[in-house]
Amino acid sequence: MADITPDLTKVVLDPALAEKLRTAQDFIVSRPRISIRLRFMVSLALCFCLCALAALVNWTYLHQVRSRLLLLGTTESVAFDLEQARRFEKDFFLYGTNLDDAVRYAESAAARLQSETPQISEAAKPGEMLAVAGHLREYRRLLAYCQAMARARILDPSRRQAIEASLRQQGSTVTALVEGLTSRERNTVTHMLKVSETLPMVLLIALLVLFVLISYFFTEALLNPIRRFQAYTRRIAEGDFTLIRPARTYRDEFSDLALAVNRMLADLQATQQRCVEAGKLAAVGTITSGIAHEINNPLNNISLTTEALMEDFKTMSDEKKWNFLQDIYFETERASEIVKSLLDFTRMEKIERVPLDVGGVILSTQRLLQNEMTLNGVTFECDLPPDVPQIKGAENQLRQVFLNLFINAIHAMPRGGALRVKANLHEEERVCVEVQDQGEGIPPEVLPHVFDPFFTTKEPGKGTGLGLSVSLSIIKRHGGDIQVESEPGKGTTFHVCLPRADRA
Amino acid sequence: MTTERRVLVLDDEPIVGDRLKDAFEKEGLEVEVFRDSSQAMERLKEQAFGVLVTDMKMSGPSGMDVLRFVKEKNPSTSVIVITGYATIETNYEAQALGADHFVPKPFKMKDLVKLVLNAF
Repeated sequence: MADITPDLTKVVLDPALAEKLRTAQDFIVSRPRISIRLRFMVSLALCFCLCALAALVNWTYLHQVRSRLLLLGTTESVAFDLEQARRFEKDFFLYGTNLDDAVRYAESAAARLQSETPQISEAAKPGEMLAVAGHLREYRRLLAYCQAMARARILDPSRRQAIEASLRQQGSTVTALVEGLTSRERNTVTHMLKVSETLPMVLLIALLVLFVLISYFFTEALLNPIRRFQAYTRRIAEGDFTLIRPARTYRDEFSDLALAVNRMLADLQATQQRCVEAGKLAAVGTITSGIAHEINNPLNNISLTTEALMEDFKTMSDEKKWNFLQDIYFETERASEIVKSLLDFTRMEKIERVPLDVGGVILSTQRLLQNEMTLNGVTFECDLPPDVPQIKGAENQLRQVFLNLFINAIHAMPRGGALRVKANLHEEERVCVEVQDQGEGIPPEVLPHVFDPFFTTKEPGKGTGLGLSVSLSIIKRHGGDIQVESEPGKGTTFHVCLPRADRA
Repeated sequence: MTTERRVLVLDDEPIVGDRLKDAFEKEGLEVEVFRDSSQAMERLKEQAFGVLVTDMKMSGPSGMDVLRFVKEKNPSTSVIVITGYATIETNYEAQALGADHFVPKPFKMKDLVKLVLNAF
């Protein structure tokens, strides 16, 4: 046979709740998705790019340093060649030798200068290159002329002196220019090397600052939703199951979380509804079984008495017959009392609630019980400050509550005593009334049960045990609460608290 | 001390005690009526009874407690439980504790008297 037991683990949502859930979920997903994973990758990529950039900057700078060092090498070589040329030039004029060497070195200098012109021009002042080239050319021309003359052996002394002087002049000019260039280069390179020492440090600090900023923004983007969810869970723990609708520009993994939370909340709402209904059913169950028991006793009494009456009708004395009939009568009244209290208890009508002075209700209740109090030697003391705000309620229901509490108090003091009633405003929010008696008090093992339906410590027939549970039900439906404190031998105090009318 | 023809009736309803006492005394039984379960238990300590007729729900020790007490102290005492709260659970519990009969309220006096006489 097919298993037809319902799956109680699956919570079914009613259409209204399902619709609310659908709207909330649509709201959450109706925006473009940028996942956290993506944001993280982007942040990392950004960091990487910044590092790469820093490395590039560093590398470029060092490359430049390298170029300049090479250049320095070149100009120093040119200077060296020139120096050699001029030495050999001097030798020629002193000893008549090495002119070819001079020419060769001058040529080498010129060649190097020529091939490195583009690089050297960068470092040179405007026109400096031309000047150097020009003077060197002139120097070489003069040398070449000497060479030609020397080969032809026609070099007269006067010409020779003029040439020597020119050569020396040209030589020194070129040398000076080249030296100037070189020393400027050397300074530049020294400076650049110093910078290249500090550059990495600077870049590192800049990177640090940027990384801190990036990680701050990323973690804020993560922590904000987390904080928001903490607030949500706090709200849920307090019993608020409203669906969440986090408003964000983009959808991400937290949106998925929000969707899951909403599904959970919808389930919780549905389950809560079911619990409330189950509770109502359970309450009805308790009441019906209570009814059964409470009514069976009077019925039994009537049955036994009637049976005895019928059995011994002929032999029973009139007095006894009369007593039995009285018993029957009394028990029927008792049964109808129980039913009446039960009807009070289960009454679900919505009664008009209006702003009331709790003091007024208390005083009118006291008037109703004036006789009873005098009979029992109970004095009434009340403290009703005029500044206590009004509460919203149904007057007759609230009177019923105070009636019940006052009667309980009076019955607790069979030898008399004081019934003290005090009203005050508690924490700006609630109006609280204390009803205190000086009776025997309630033992601690009984205290938790005083509000249970049908619970009574009185003899059968005296009280239905429903008074306090009805009172509690009334107060709870007014949005308030009743607490009790008691000490055997010292008395009992009931605290009835209700929300104030202007804030309800 | 004889247990012969001695019945203890325990119920907080005064009418029950009165009617039962009348009916049982008519049959020649000795009847003692209690409305307080603690007092009844004190009496049960000092005197053995042939039959105990007890209600379940009372303030103080419950009918179950008294039943348990009697069955320990004097297992030969027959116990008849009468109750207005007759569910399968209470029936079962009473039987488990050794009750001889379970009589839901309201009941007919005739029937109860028959049960009590059979117990002797």
